[in-house]
Amino acid sequence: MTDDDPLIARVAAELRRPRSPGPGFDGRVMAAVRAVPAPLPARAWAWLREPRVLALSPLGGAAIAACLAVLAAAGVWGARRGSRDGSGAPAVAARAAAPAAPSVVTFVLVAPQASTVALAGDFDGWDGARLPMRREAAGIWTVDVPLTPGRYDYAFVVDGRRFVADPAAPRALGDDFGRPSSVVTVGSGAPGAAGGSL
Amino acid sequence: MIEDEPDGALVRRVLDGDLEAFAGLVARHRDRGLRFAASMLGDAAEAEEALQDAFVRAYRSLRSCREPDRFGAWLLQILVNRCRTRAARFQRRNRQFVRDDAALERAAAPAGRSREWREEIERALARLDPLQREAFVLKHVEGLEYEEMTRLTGARVPALKMRVKRACDRLRVLLGEESGRRDR
Amino acid sequence: MNARLLGVALVLAAARPATAVAQVERLAGRVDDATRAAVAAVVDSAREAGVPAEPLVNKALEGASKGADGARIVAAVHALAGDLGRARSALGPGASPAELVAGGAAVRAGVRGAVLEELRARYPRESLMVPLAVMADLVARGVPADTAARSVLVLMREGVRDAELVAFRQSVERDIALGAPAGGAAAVRLDGALPGTTSTTPAAPRKP
Repeated sequence: MTDDDPLIARVAAELRRPRSPGPGFDGRVMAAVRAVPAPLPARAWAWLREPRVLALSPLGGAAIAACLAVLAAAGVWGARRGSRDGSGAPAVAARAAAPAAPSVVTFVLVAPQASTVALAGDFDGWDGARLPMRREAAGIWTVDVPLTPGRYDYAFVVDGRRFVADPAAPRALGDDFGRPSSVVTVGSGAPGAAGGSL
Repeated sequence: MIEDEPDGALVRRVLDGDLEAFAGLVARHRDRGLRFAASMLGDAAEAEEALQDAFVRAYRSLRSCREPDRFGAWLLQILVNRCRTRAARFQRRNRQFVRDDAALERAAAPAGRSREWREEIERALARLDPLQREAFVLKHVEGLEYEEMTRLTGARVPALKMRVKRACDRLRVLLGEESGRRDR
Repeated sequence: MNARLLGVALVLAAARPATAVAQVERLAGRVDDATRAAVAAVVDSAREAGVPAEPLVNKALEGASKGADGARIVAAVHALAGDLGRARSALGPGASPAELVAGGAAVRAGVRGAVLEELRARYPRESLMVPLAVMADLVARGVPADTAARSVLVLMREGVRDAELVAFRQSVERDIALGAPAGGAAAVRLDGALPGTTSTTPAAPRKP
């Protein structure tokens, strides 16, 4: 049934006018899509190829809690923490002595089955060879990196070839070339603010 | 380049794990999706949220898209349902932070007389029965055939034709009244 | 600093040359010549718009490291330059590189330019890096961009700054991870973070 009424035609013409969502719409959709937990909708065999990595996260289970107890005793704690004082005990929030002074950020990944883990990111030209991580107890890999204030995309490189995002960190937006990255924001030492990692 | 690949190829890429290929589908189908959602919901921000929601749901259930080459039609089906749900529970967002809202909205609001006509239409559409509005938009804005509309809405063709007719009748009354009140 | 940290610091210092030309040189051996030339062209026009080279080169290096082909690398650098350019327009010529990078992320996340302008207008002498970073990170977790922007604006108007802004973002993330819908989680945590509300969260100190 076609309606030749000119009013209806005018209404339809107005509603048919092309329109686009505001800038950033695509980015918002892709950010939401990336936040959908893997392996959806990858096929089962692709998921099975993923390394068995777990995140150190506040929601971790009993096994992780046990690891945390070990780490706390050894002076390492949490996914990323601020500067340490001379005694080796970690400070929860560091205060930089001067603006733009670097803060030390500790990156941690639990990857018991990995042979090597390295850190690659904006702070080292995504080299992967510059920041090898050290294996501590129970398959926990760490590295301490001094970073000047700023925002850095990064990822862990497992066994020299597989990029793994930090599940406990915010996702990087923008094109990650099909392999997800994470973001760390390092604050400045402005009075009233906390330095160290955020 | 992703822009040249047909929908089916992009869908298969995403299912193989190339998440970023989904961005190509978004870019290709978002304008039409927004046109539909804006016609249905009236509010541009609501329409964008409904559309974003639809895309994410499409991604989550991409495996169940039976005709990857017709991703657009499948997305529209999801969007029809999103718009129905939103219209049913559409409520004003918390206006507690009015000052900030005003600052944010100022940047995006277009100006001009065309906006008045658009607003008249949206007021009139808002006063239609939701199913009539939906049938009208699918037929006259999206230009779909009744067979396609049956697949999207689950209603039979005679019912759809009746809805479209009633929508047109009502719009003639509402917009005829309104335009009678002002000089054009 | 212990010896290990010192070694790391030296390694990183070597990775951050100052000039745009020197930045593009970091691509040597990582991407082919055609890609390097294309990226250099993007960097040059971005410089003219006041956009720093380092983040653009970092993006290219990321693509190289992840095995992306040259065309995709150039497209990603171009897209990032666009985001940074929009942030630069909104934040003005005095914006630091760190603010621009965070602003670019916020723009990519869908935060409107008007929000960045508003932030700059209200807080002309403060670094906006953390507020913008928090907005982007909230969106990355699924909070709608306008909700994320509004939340940060409101918190800052009430005197909340860097560390507490980040704490807000972390508490929202925890709620989302525990199953709360993203927009709702932000609204609930926002209520709790404002001074004067009944909550176990202590009121944020007001800046003079």
